[in-house]
Amino acid sequence: MVQLVGSLRKELADSLSTCKVLVVGAGGIGCELLKNLVLTGFKNIEVIDLDTIDVSNLNRQFLFQKKHVGKSKAQVAKESALQFCPTANITAYHDSIMNPDYNVEFFRKFVLVMNALDNRAARNHVNRMCLAADIPLIESGTAGYLGQVTVIKKGMTECYECQPKPTQKTFPGCTIRNTPSEPIHCIVWAKYLFNQLFGEEDADQEVSPDTADPEAAWKPEETAARATASEKDGDIKRVSTKDWARSTGYDPVKLFNKLFKDDIMYLLTMDKLWKKRKAPTPLDWHQLENSACPQEDSPVSGLKDQQVLGVWGHCQLFQQSVETLSSQLQEKGEGAELVWDKDDPPAMDFVTAASNLRMHIFSMNMKSRFDVKSMAGNIIPAIATTNAVIAGLIVLEGLKILSGELESCRTIFLNKCPNLRKKLLVPCILDPPSANCYVCTSKPEVTVKLNVHKTMVLSLQDRILKERFGMVAPDVQIEDGKGTILISSEEGETEANNSKFLSDFGIRNGSRLQVDDFLQDYTLLVNVLHTEELERDVEFEVVGEAPDKAPPPQTNQEEVNSITNGNKDSAQPSTSSKGQLQFLNKGKFVSHHSSSSSDLKQQLEHGIN
Amino acid sequence: VKEDPVISEEEAAQYDRQIRLWGLDAQKRLRGSRVLLVGLGGLGAEVAKNLILAGVKGLTLLDHEQASEESCRAQFLVPVTARGQNRARASLERAQNLNPMVEVHADSDRVEDKPDDFFLQFDAVCLTGCSRDLMVRVDQLCSQRNIKVFCGDVYGYYGYMFCNLGQEHNYVEEKPKLVKPTGNSNDGPEAKKAKVDPNETTMVKKTSSFCTLKEALEVDWTSEKAKAGLKRTPVDYFLLHVLLKFRTDKGRDPDPQSFAEDSQLLRQIRDDVLEALAVSGDLLSDDFTSYCFSEMSPVCAVVGGVLGQEVVKALSQRDPPHRNFFFFDGRKGNGVVDFFGPK
Repeated sequence: MVQLVGSLRKELADSLSTCKVLVVGAGGIGCELLKNLVLTGFKNIEVIDLDTIDVSNLNRQFLFQKKHVGKSKAQVAKESALQFCPTANITAYHDSIMNPDYNVEFFRKFVLVMNALDNRAARNHVNRMCLAADIPLIESGTAGYLGQVTVIKKGMTECYECQPKPTQKTFPGCTIRNTPSEPIHCIVWAKYLFNQLFGEEDADQEVSPDTADPEAAWKPEETAARATASEKDGDIKRVSTKDWARSTGYDPVKLFNKLFKDDIMYLLTMDKLWKKRKAPTPLDWHQLENSACPQEDSPVSGLKDQQVLGVWGHCQLFQQSVETLSSQLQEKGEGAELVWDKDDPPAMDFVTAASNLRMHIFSMNMKSRFDVKSMAGNIIPAIATTNAVIAGLIVLEGLKILSGELESCRTIFLNKCPNLRKKLLVPCILDPPSANCYVCTSKPEVTVKLNVHKTMVLSLQDRILKERFGMVAPDVQIEDGKGTILISSEEGETEANNSKFLSDFGIRNGSRLQVDDFLQDYTLLVNVLHTEELERDVEFEVVGEAPDKAPPPQTNQEEVNSITNGNKDSAQPSTSSKGQLQFLNKGKFVSHHSSSSSDLKQQLEHGIN
Repeated sequence: VKEDPVISEEEAAQYDRQIRLWGLDAQKRLRGSRVLLVGLGGLGAEVAKNLILAGVKGLTLLDHEQASEESCRAQFLVPVTARGQNRARASLERAQNLNPMVEVHADSDRVEDKPDDFFLQFDAVCLTGCSRDLMVRVDQLCSQRNIKVFCGDVYGYYGYMFCNLGQEHNYVEEKPKLVKPTGNSNDGPEAKKAKVDPNETTMVKKTSSFCTLKEALEVDWTSEKAKAGLKRTPVDYFLLHVLLKFRTDKGRDPDPQSFAEDSQLLRQIRDDVLEALAVSGDLLSDDFTSYCFSEMSPVCAVVGGVLGQEVVKALSQRDPPHRNFFFFDGRKGNGVVDFFGPK
């Protein structure tokens, strides 16, 4: 005789009260998920989140109130959940799931892990930990009106990394430095400029005109000549931007004239660039100052941030923000650096001003602070209802898993509108593991194309193994018969190797590297393919995923997949990483920002195939 | 709906992530809307949360029931200490704390006892846990006066949402602006003028028409056309009839405490209902009876999420509404939208 406890069969209800589950993330999905879990009858829940509460979370992360701003999300989520279910046993960790404390043994405590994350690095990591511990993982994501849920079970389904996911889009250096054609190029430039002036200077974030731009040369030999010439006498490259700015005392007008007048005039001398493009027009501070009209009264109906300032308005904003930021820098003392943050007003003002001035120079319509913030800050719009639906689906999948009904688990997509079959929620059968997955097969292997004479050991570690292949603490041995240790995860042990090149260790075409991440219980064999012919700005390529190779045709659903991976992985260009240029959907750039509000739906409609 | 033109800085900061999705105009309309929510069970609590977070002007929680031990477990607004209190009143404090900028009221009266003009103060009415007759009456009364009507319930793993936005519901849809190719060949084939932002969009005005709940429930299945369409018809529609009949006959929903008797009654009602509708008894197997007891929290979350978003869309008059039913089957993970009513 069937016995029910509430909606559930007694056996299931009983197992809920004894099993232990882990929720990774206490944000939009996490809050809704925690609520559903306790109301459904889960008694032992652990929740982890490294973040603190921000006022912009309050439109959807309903376990938090205004008074909680600044506090730990995991901690407050736990307290709020206990309010409506005092008998639940909840443990909260204000920590990163990538902390080595959370090892395979930690994961084995749980019968089920549920992700509620917003970035790929953590997703990759939890994916590997769950594979290592052989624990079922429910993965999910939302963006705007769209969302999805899926189940990952070792040996039975695809893991999170079985399907190559589009890497963050980056723009070529010459587009950023010389020939921007879209607002986003100017915004990326402005963020680079922030770092050059106030933050950590990065050789990959140059803002000055790129004299070695191949497009600028009338003849191919010129490019090399220009490159060496600029190194010798280039008053562009000789002094670092920060040092130069410091020498002027961060004088806003001097900075303005260099960036928006002198450098632009230099670009104009590279006349081949402007043969078929509209040439930029340099700005002059004093001219603008003298011809500035009194600012019109801002219309009252829109948000203040949604107004688009005039050129002089941006000049003033530039001046104010430079003054504020330079004094902040000074206060911090010797060797200090500022970190750009979209929620830090002067930092946001600076990028708004600098990017808009550049847009104006390059004949683009200027943008409001509101819109610049969306793009610069990789903001993905978010609402409560989408997260509520997805979190409900997560628990329903979880119940299937706990009932031992893995075959009935599905990937479920939430659409904005019903599809042709009238479905708003579309369940799909789970795919089996991919035969050439470089994570979940028994002996994962990849081939990486790079230049052994130009790739440093540090780059291998940071750019390739950590960023591209998602490892947290890699150990690298060369398969040279001697088991030479190239990289050790122990701090300091192989630091001396960092700035050496791979070829210095005898690595050449056909060499093999054994890479281990012991935390993730993951071993990857890397085959090295030496090449001298990589595209400009491209440091390495993973064979089988070359940028010029069109990605496999995706359904709308897969596009949703890549979009809902979270704001930290948006197809928006990264301003920090180099890597291959990756085009989504056969050349169409899928962005998450829009001058108007939204439109992820738009992207779905543009679709593929 | 009255629009207060000025959005405060506090609102701009709090609603930032949703303004970036549906725009400032939509948010202003929400801010001017008053909603009545009937029933504070599991589904009602989810809808309340969603509407309060969205930032409506006012939300009235109407429920005559008492908070039981089960309701304390079933929803997250009623404190465990509030057993015996009126459910709407018990939910008030936590509901209000979700967003102090919304005016939340609690009312412990029965819906049936409310005079007609009570409903006129609202822009939208959302009915949960109501009998079929009551829903039909309120739907008729409200839609005549251009008040948007929503109904919804959750039964175990199953749930539905219905809406009647009137015979002429106007809304806007954001569409990409068509960029005409610049045919000017003066500067050469690859010349670029000041680049048009590829993300520019335009608002297109549209209208949608809805029928009453009565019409939606009283579809005639005896016609040849209807019979032919039966194959593509979600069986959830018929399940809804069964569950509404149970509620009317027993004055309550299937109760886990009386599982055996209620299952049997459900099967009986299924036979009666399908026969009365002149459709095959095979449409609904016995299976469903095990899975329609009690409001399941995750199912309330799904249905409440969809329903909540439909209310937001209707009030903000933005984006095409789901017309006119949404059915969710939590066992299969299926969520379908379908129209029932006169063609």
